Amino acid sequence: MNLSRLWRTAFLDFRPSLSLGLFRLAVAFTVGAHMIPSFFQMADNYLATAFKTQNDSFFPAWLLHLVAASPDWLVWAWVLVFFASWLAFAAGCFSQASCLLMTTSCYYFYALNNYHIGTLSFDILLVTLVLMCVTGFHGDCLSIDSLRRGNVRAYKRPRPYVIQRLLQCQLAVTFWHTALNKISAGGNWLTDNPYYYLMHYPPIGVVRDFPLRSVLAQHPGLCHGIGIGVVIIELLLPVLWFIPRTRPLGIAVGVLLQLLLWATLHVPTIFLFLFPPMMLLFIRPEALVRWIEARQAAQAERGRAVLLYDGRCGFCVASVTRLRILDLFGWVDPLDFHAQPDMSRLHPALTPERCRSEMVLVEPGGQLSGGFDAFVRLTRPLPLLWWAVLLVRLPGAPWVGRRVYRWVAAHRSLLHRQAMCRTNQCGLPTAENTSSN
Amino acid sequence: MVIRRNTAISLFAACWLLLFGYETFRAGYLSPLVLRHRSARARSKSGGLVGRRLPKFPLLFPPAGWIMFFNVDRSYGFAEVYALPRGGTEPVKLDPHDIFETTAVGYDNIRRNVLVGVLSRDRAPAFCRYLRRKFPQYGAFAVVYSQYPDVVDEPDRVISQVAYRCQ
Repeated sequence: MNLSRLWRTAFLDFRPSLSLGLFRLAVAFTVGAHMIPSFFQMADNYLATAFKTQNDSFFPAWLLHLVAASPDWLVWAWVLVFFASWLAFAAGCFSQASCLLMTTSCYYFYALNNYHIGTLSFDILLVTLVLMCVTGFHGDCLSIDSLRRGNVRAYKRPRPYVIQRLLQCQLAVTFWHTALNKISAGGNWLTDNPYYYLMHYPPIGVVRDFPLRSVLAQHPGLCHGIGIGVVIIELLLPVLWFIPRTRPLGIAVGVLLQLLLWATLHVPTIFLFLFPPMMLLFIRPEALVRWIEARQAAQAERGRAVLLYDGRCGFCVASVTRLRILDLFGWVDPLDFHAQPDMSRLHPALTPERCRSEMVLVEPGGQLSGGFDAFVRLTRPLPLLWWAVLLVRLPGAPWVGRRVYRWVAAHRSLLHRQAMCRTNQCGLPTAENTSSN
Repeated sequence: MVIRRNTAISLFAACWLLLFGYETFRAGYLSPLVLRHRSARARSKSGGLVGRRLPKFPLLFPPAGWIMFFNVDRSYGFAEVYALPRGGTEPVKLDPHDIFETTAVGYDNIRRNVLVGVLSRDRAPAFCRYLRRKFPQYGAFAVVYSQYPDVVDEPDRVISQVAYRCQ
């Protein structure tokens, strides 16, 4: 393979953005886990009363002066900006814009006071965030953006692969450089026994009190071996990730290494929350798409649930499109009840009147539910509705939910976007609407 | 159209990789290399750039590359804060978790030795102000630098010295 072809394959390929969509969730979780606790102590961390330090090797002086002059109300305003953009990014709502805003607010708080949040791992997170800001493809799937756009097959839509590849390179170089620094440029992992010293650190030190610590503290030779082993693993892992055959092993060892790091040392959990999902970015997105489609096929074989809806209602048709996006594994087959000549074939208790008044779910086992109760039943098998599983089962939620559903169902003709749909006749079923997922 | 798109992507990827590589190796490898080279040249003719490190790209990347526990030796230094109650004579050691109450998810920031950052004399006025606000019941504070000189051979020996006082 010549260089030009290698470059094309590495950076100019178009591939599904599903992995980047999943990675967006991990990044949002990591940012939240690192930033939010610092907001619980505003007086200590960010307001005028705080003890602040500034990272002048990272930020230019003029920017630090500008940020340091922030009055308290501005700091609170940035907290609001952070939470709004963080939630939007996590939900994939205007994914790129929310990523930009969230990253800017992270920078703001970093410039305001780096004492608690400023760590090496946070610098790594910021590099990742900047790359995520370059594109909005991470909002293609598993997102509110995908619901807004209404593209059922968005998860397999080919997109430029460059950002995912650069994230892979970032992780690989981080591991290589970490290992390289341990054995050169001032590192002492070959010439000395740093792991052994760590095992002797005082109780206030960075090492956790894990079960084998006292044993390791008695065996300098074993510690030296572990230290060398860590360096070798850090050098080897990126190679394992880039070779398809060894990739699963590389990812498994990498995740284990991060778990061990967290279990033995008080290091920022950014490493644990961010690096394993970054390792998963080495899995080919096509493999994930194939896995999803295999699950869809298996579900079709087992028999899908059927959701009967009013295909002449534009609001209902739009809602069903969103449902198809949420139904990643093809658990349910939405059918327009107008197109069913014999509904008793689906379930003996089904009538056109009932289907006209509410959506009706017929599960493979024959269980029948309608309206809000059908929605409650859908939250379990549809992974993208798992966030609502507990919410719809809270005390009082069914009482409120049924009433809200009944109101929406009764007024659905008013919820059409197009005026011509007000008569409830515009949503005549198309081939796409009635085909299975 | 395709050529223009591929050119834009290629340019972005190439610039990013170059910048990423530069910042990865700048502090640990490139700067010492350049400094050595400049020192050698300076010996033959005086040069104004002698001793100057390579510039860091602002607003991105850590200051010294991706270094984690790269050098661990036998000593361990940490900070302690002692306070004198108003009207009292016996100083008490403040729990670092009371000084910085910000908790972190999944780890203890104090055990990560975050308190050591207050030892710098430049930070003394700000930290003293912070201590007075946080602990009004105390009249004076002393920030102490303590060190285990050898955690292996002398695990109980700690050398302490006052870094600064807040009166």
